[in-house]
Amino acid sequence: MSFFGFNTNLPRDRDGPGARGFFENPDPFAEVARANALEDDDAIDFEDTYDGLGDQLPDDQDEFNDDTFGGAPDKSVGRDFDFFGKTAQVSDAIGEEQVRFSLQNPNAPRVAPQPQPQVPVQQAPGVETVKRSGYEKYSDPGYIPDLQAKSSVWGVSQKKAEPAPSRKMMSLEEVEAQMRQHPQHSSPAAQAFLRSMVEPAYPPQHQHLPTLPDGFPAVPPEFLQAQLKQGHLPPQMHPPPGMPELYGPGPVPTGGPLHMMQTANLPPQHMPPTGPRHASPPQAQRPPQPQQPQPQQVPPPSRGSNNAMPVITNPQQLMHLTEEQRNAYLVEDAKRAKRNHKIFLLSRGNGLMTPQDKNFITRIQLQQLVAAAGNVADSDPEAVLAEDFYYQVYSQIRGAPRQHPHQPLGHFAQTYLLQTGNRLGGHGRRNFQSADNHMQRMQQQVQRAVEAAKAKPKNKQLIIEGSLGKIAFSNAKAPKPMLNIKRPDSSEGAKPKKLHSNLSLSDRKSILTNLEGVYSALMAMEDMERTMPPPPEEGDAEAIQEHLEWRQKLHSLNQKLWHSLKVMEPIVPNSTTPHPFIAFLSYPKGKKAIPRIFRHIDQEQRVTILTMIVVHLDSLDVVHQAQPVPGEAQPSLGVREAIDLFSLAVMPCLLGYVNEAPFNIIIGLLGLVINQTHVHTVARTKVGLGILTMLLSRAEIVKEAGQASEHDWQQWVEKFNVLFDTLEPGLNDIFPGTISSGDDMYVWQFLAAVGIGASPEQQQRLVIAVKDRVMETVGYSKTLPADMGSQRLSNVNLFMRAIGLDVELLG
Amino acid sequence: MADTEDAGASVSEPLDLVRLSLDEVVFVKLRGDRELKGRLHAYDSHCNLVLGDVEETIYVVEEDDNEEETVRTIKKQEEMLFVRGDSVVLISPQA
Repeated sequence: MSFFGFNTNLPRDRDGPGARGFFENPDPFAEVARANALEDDDAIDFEDTYDGLGDQLPDDQDEFNDDTFGGAPDKSVGRDFDFFGKTAQVSDAIGEEQVRFSLQNPNAPRVAPQPQPQVPVQQAPGVETVKRSGYEKYSDPGYIPDLQAKSSVWGVSQKKAEPAPSRKMMSLEEVEAQMRQHPQHSSPAAQAFLRSMVEPAYPPQHQHLPTLPDGFPAVPPEFLQAQLKQGHLPPQMHPPPGMPELYGPGPVPTGGPLHMMQTANLPPQHMPPTGPRHASPPQAQRPPQPQQPQPQQVPPPSRGSNNAMPVITNPQQLMHLTEEQRNAYLVEDAKRAKRNHKIFLLSRGNGLMTPQDKNFITRIQLQQLVAAAGNVADSDPEAVLAEDFYYQVYSQIRGAPRQHPHQPLGHFAQTYLLQTGNRLGGHGRRNFQSADNHMQRMQQQVQRAVEAAKAKPKNKQLIIEGSLGKIAFSNAKAPKPMLNIKRPDSSEGAKPKKLHSNLSLSDRKSILTNLEGVYSALMAMEDMERTMPPPPEEGDAEAIQEHLEWRQKLHSLNQKLWHSLKVMEPIVPNSTTPHPFIAFLSYPKGKKAIPRIFRHIDQEQRVTILTMIVVHLDSLDVVHQAQPVPGEAQPSLGVREAIDLFSLAVMPCLLGYVNEAPFNIIIGLLGLVINQTHVHTVARTKVGLGILTMLLSRAEIVKEAGQASEHDWQQWVEKFNVLFDTLEPGLNDIFPGTISSGDDMYVWQFLAAVGIGASPEQQQRLVIAVKDRVMETVGYSKTLPADMGSQRLSNVNLFMRAIGLDVELLG
Repeated sequence: MADTEDAGASVSEPLDLVRLSLDEVVFVKLRGDRELKGRLHAYDSHCNLVLGDVEETIYVVEEDDNEEETVRTIKKQEEMLFVRGDSVVLISPQA
């Protein structure tokens, strides 16, 4: 059954039911690979490394095995690997061994270039005669080549260990299981073995040494030993930071092979016989002390972030640590165990899916994404819009980063793929490369999926052979046409409209029609904005042309919008029907349209709208219908809603303009209020007062900033005086309802705005006019809960401060 | 969206009139002796409607012992309602 025709009855190797020899799963080319790894050894040729010769051996001629492989039947080697347990059992022996070794050690290096205790084991009698091929060690069936795998259990990574390519098929557990079956030998070899555990990094180092070229021994082996004994490895030998230091004794399926791969990769780094490595700083810090073996009790100074704790390689070492260090170590150890357990839990599902499976799933998901996002690569931005119109419009109005209609895929990829990529990159700490590859592959797949979707022939109907009819397909984007009615030409369609618009400008239906016209234009303009061509570069005639055309279109839309707004309709004095624009504003949807309109019109148009509103201030629904009715505390619910909507939608736009308006416009507007409207009516409403406050405070700001010319200011003061005189008799009426009927903050704000701009004499009159209300409010606020009361007081104070007083003064 | 652009302010088909009532209170008569009154938020070519602040009135004819028929009305208030177009009999602006 043995590949090589080994005598399967060999007691040591074959005595367990589950025992599997190292050569049971031979890899004929492993030796070649190994030889390649040791290519410095020029003694190797193909014949030496070719293993398959055994094929030709007859099975019954086992006696040749010894000749071929130098089989040394009685080289017994301890195969106990349960280091922790065994070591604990034999800790005394270890202590002795340690002492012995330290005595022995100084001599050891001198004996031979390969002074390690395992040498006798490896140099079986037969080996001496065989030409040195670099894999002599394997000729001994008792040879245990993967000591380094086990010592990794102790957190020491022995990257310098020689490659073991042929051993990949055996996992750590398998090796352990195999070795557990062999009782501990008390032979010298076993002691040597134990000793090798005391200096965990030591044996591999020496296994490695013989393969070095002749020029190498410039480094005294003692030096290395001394260093290694302290638990220090040259920097190259430390595990990469991202690697778990050990996979622990737990069954981690990937642990074994991974480790093998790492060890297999490493030796070439250590091969070159260059000096610099040995002059590296860590070594410089540690002058060679070959003849004074360092007791291991001395914990090495921690070095590097990875080495905060001394490297504990066996329990013996732990015993010698101080209490504090031991505790710290145990904590560390517990942490590591926890982490290993977590890794183990996480790795449970490992390998359930093959890469192909994953690919398959990824493709399905990508296709779904592509389908969900519509044909994203469609160069027609309409297609993108059709799918998530509201998001697009919303993000545009909210000023979200501009979409690039020309690169919908890029956007798509950024949204869905780059994120994924980051996540991948974040997790795959040491695999940025592969994360990138994933990214690229994903993107390629998206591209392919998109292209496939585009290439798919768009069969609109299916004709089944032999059937009489055909089946038309339909989908959400292209519903099956049920009727095919020719639309009238646009010229015909326009005619009835003309008739309508001539009838009346202010009947309900035409106002609503205007409204819809405004919304249509708005939507078209918002749509245009999305398709704005990129700003043309100089010299690019085509782009400039495109841009110009775009501007032209936008301008015509603007005209359409402006026309639909009916702002420029002539004002008919004393007309019973309100101006079309004011009627427009009386609809909630008209009010809601204003912010959107203001985004698309220029300053001149804005000031026109503002003027229009101011001129018709007393006929605005929110003013006209909001007049306080005797006996009712506040306007009806519908009117209140309208007022709120106006305050929320229209006022900010107006305020935004007024805050930047030149002073003369403010003066003009105030004049309009005084001359064109019924000031008392205006002043009795929230919106009216709001607009007046707006104008007054802007004037005050202009004055404070010193931007007002003397002449302008003179004009303003005149107008202000007129306003004040007009208002004064009715100042008590501007408060809404009784004192207990809620919000009167806007009134105090208005009074404050008046108070600031007023002359001292006017302020006096102001105080007299509202004194009662002030006192009432102060008194009333004391009966309110603290927070509400202070709210009311602060409202009053707003005004009081404006005229240089304070409610505190009122006691 | 596309149809709103070219429709403009012109009235070229019946539903353009419904469009004028968007965001306005409308009266909707339904099959099954039901009536709705609410703010029209949306509609489509099937007369599917979305209404807000709806008052629904259901007329139920009951026969009493004397075989005399009396009409009872049930009123319901809904915050938002989707009405499937196939039950809509008429839509009227509620001025």
